Order: sequence, then structure tokens, then C-alpha cells
Amino acid sequence: MTTTAVPELRIFDYDTYAEGDPTTFGLPLEQYRHLRDEEPCYLQEFDDPMLIDRAWVVSRNEDIWEVDRNTELYAADRGYVNIWQVVPIDPKNGGMPAMLTTDGERHRSQRQVLAKGFTPGYVRKLEGKFRQYAKDVVDDALEKGTFNFVHTIAHNMPMEALGDVLGVPQEDRVKFFGWVDKFAAPFDTRITASFDEVMEAIGNLMVYSEELAELKRANPADDVMTRLVASGEGGDPLMSPEEIVGNVALLASGAAESTRTAMSHGMHELMRNEKAMAWMRAHQNNLPPTVIQEMVRIASPFTHLVRTATRDHELHGKQVKEGDIVAMLFAAGNFDERVFDRPEEFQPDRIENPHVSFGRGPHKCLGQHVAALEMKILFEELFQRTSNIEPAGPISYVRDAYSRGVYELPVTVTPR
Amino acid sequence: MKITVDTNLCEVHGDCVVAAPDIFDIGEDDEVVQVLDAEPGEEHRATVAQAAKMCPVAAITIEG
Repeated sequence: MTTTAVPELRIFDYDTYAEGDPTTFGLPLEQYRHLRDEEPCYLQEFDDPMLIDRAWVVSRNEDIWEVDRNTELYAADRGYVNIWQVVPIDPKNGGMPAMLTTDGERHRSQRQVLAKGFTPGYVRKLEGKFRQYAKDVVDDALEKGTFNFVHTIAHNMPMEALGDVLGVPQEDRVKFFGWVDKFAAPFDTRITASFDEVMEAIGNLMVYSEELAELKRANPADDVMTRLVASGEGGDPLMSPEEIVGNVALLASGAAESTRTAMSHGMHELMRNEKAMAWMRAHQNNLPPTVIQEMVRIASPFTHLVRTATRDHELHGKQVKEGDIVAMLFAAGNFDERVFDRPEEFQPDRIENPHVSFGRGPHKCLGQHVAALEMKILFEELFQRTSNIEPAGPISYVRDAYSRGVYELPVTVTPR
Repeated sequence: MKITVDTNLCEVHGDCVVAAPDIFDIGEDDEVVQVLDAEPGEEHRATVAQAAKMCPVAAITIEG
């Protein structure tokens, strides 16, 4: 007989997240704790033709840092991105190559060029435009009074911000991000009725990416799409046509869904946490970066990513073989009491916050500074122009085990 | 304290600029991060150590 209860492990079931507990950020924190403490290298097997066969799951914060940084032992360029069998940016399984599925010098040369459109200094130049988007979004919200936060507030801001950074013409943004939403939630039939729709959305995005590349070659601008089509060292094109398409898909899916998710989980937590709400009110004229990073931590917008072991090795007593898939369970690493003080608490002023939501290695989120600025500006605008923000119904989550989307977050705002 | 950056590794992630904006900067035309003060005073040790820790490609080294 055992004295401690072992939770049933369902860390990659859609329903674990669809039916998540709103008092624990929608996450199965008990299961994560069990993994970190008892099975820090856990073999997850799948029996679903849409998913990979198996993966070693690492869940401790420190181990995720190691797997993400040790690209020589844990490669990103040997196929698979997450637990899905097919991902549009996985060239080993029918997708297009992108930075996230590239390692070494090829990765570095592309990343260096693109990253210049995402540095903190470059992003700060966009602040004026972001303020205007935030103002428009909040105008709309105040007019409605009661609305779904996910659609009315969290959807438009990343769409416009990423549209600016990438260089997607204003009139194309709704259709462009509509395609991204389809393949970001392929298993939630409320969003994507069938897998055919996923394939259709990917096809549309690919065709459009080529059109956009053509447009930027003809009319270069100060945006990331122009950098994508630019020449690299020695005058050769930086990227092949396939890489351009793959990277557009990567950037779009990395930006739209995840930022919306972080804002929505953050707003939900503020509404059930009086102390944090009061702290926001006290800081609403200039939100410190700590609260944004704390929202990103508890949101854990993507639960995991995977790498492939490049040689046989032992990990926490398990024999990992060359070619085995190793999953970094970011959502578990974000609640590891080995590195976080009271991780189950939302602390808007948390200083020591080594969360892994953006990753921690060479593939770290390219848009992290854009996301942080968007969130800061949007929450400042929303708080400054309201005297009260409260729930108008329960939160519900997207049915997915990879992307932690919020499906509905009804709120009522009172204008100041 | 002496700071060196391996510019062959730097991919301008910008984490160091966030951690220690007085010491690191990435200007618009910079290919890699610029060290504004390679031998800063002790009062900067905490933020510089944080910058080195956060660098996703471990390009920052602190001596002394």
C-alpha cells in the first residue's frame, strides 16, 4: 500500500486542458509536481495516428534550460516540433523548413538577420503605433461593456502588432491571421471543424506568403518580411523560397495565438486575485516588466516543444537513445519549486523569474520583446480607462494539449 | 569585473539589454550586441551576472 496518492497522468490529453481547473491557471499542477519529483524523465507513449509514438518528458526547470541550450545533444533539425505528427514547419514530415527546425550555422545566419527586426530598441520604435491600436481596442471594449476578452481585446492587438512587425498590409491582416488560428487549434472543432480545414489554411498561408515575398522584393520596407527576402552574406538569398514560407508560418503562429493566450490567462488571474488586481491599479500608469513576465509564466502559452537526442545517453536514470524524442514540458518547468518561490502564486512583482515560456536557448522566442511591449501597453490602456473589470461568466479553454488558448473569457468593464 | 562577448555566438536575442540596459545595447545598425562599458563598477555585478545567465547562446563571459 502506498501512502501518497499518485495522480493519473494525463499531461497530453486535450481534455486535461479543455476542462482545466481555473483556480490553478487551467493547468494540471498536481500531475506536473508528480513528474518533477518522481519521474523527471518520464516516458509518454501515444496511441493516436495524429501524434508521435512516444517522447521522454522533462519537467524540471533546470532540465528544460539544459535541453533547450544543449543543441548538440538535443537537436531541433531532426524532425518534429511538438507531439503532433504533422506540423507546417517540419521539413522531415512534409512541412517547410523554418528557424525552429534548423540548427547550427544555418540557424544562426538567419536568426541574426531576422532578430534585428525584434530587438528591444527596434521594438520600442513601435510604441506609438501600439498605443494607437490599444486605444482603438479599448474604445471598442468600452462601447460593448460586456464582451469576450479573448476576441474583443486579446485578438486584435497581436494581430495589428505582428502585422506591423512582419509588414502585412492592413487589408490582409484578418484573412492572414484567420488562417493562423485554424492551424493553431487543429483539434478544437469549435475553431477548426475538420483537419481538411487545417490543411486548407496552411495551403492558403503558403500561397499568400509567396505573394507577400514578391511584394516586398518589389517594394522593400522597414519590416521583417523585407528582411526575409533580403540577401545574406555574399549576395546569395538569405533564405530559399521554402524557408521564406516556413518562417512566415512560424512567426505568424508564434505571435498571434500565444500573445492572445498570455493576455487572457493574465486577465483571468487578475480578476480572481484581489491583491494582484490592486497592485495593477497602483501601477497602471507604468506597468513594471515583472507583471508581464509573470503573466507569461502562468499562461505557459505553449505547453511544450520537442527535440531529438543526437546520441545515446542517460537522463535521470533512463536510457535515452539516439533518435528518441525529448519533450520539454514548459508548463511544468514554470511551476518548479526548485527555482520559484511559491510557484502556485501569481506574484506581479516577482523578480527571480526564470520561466521557460519563451524557451531559454538559441530558439528562444523571437517576438518576446514585441509581446512584452504589446501586453504592457494594452493593460496600461485598459486599466487607465476603466474603474472596474470583472468576470461576466466562467472562463473556458481551447481543447488542445499544445497551445493553451482561452476560448472564452466574459468580462464587464466600467468606464472611468 | 571584465565583460567579454563572443560575437560569433551573439544572435541579438536582446536578453542582456533587458537585464542590464546600462551595460549592453543593440543599435539599429548593429550586427551584434555592443558592450557600453566592458569594465563596469561592482554596483553593476548583479545585473551583468543576470545578463550572462539569461543569454540564450551563452555568449557573455565575466572575469574577475
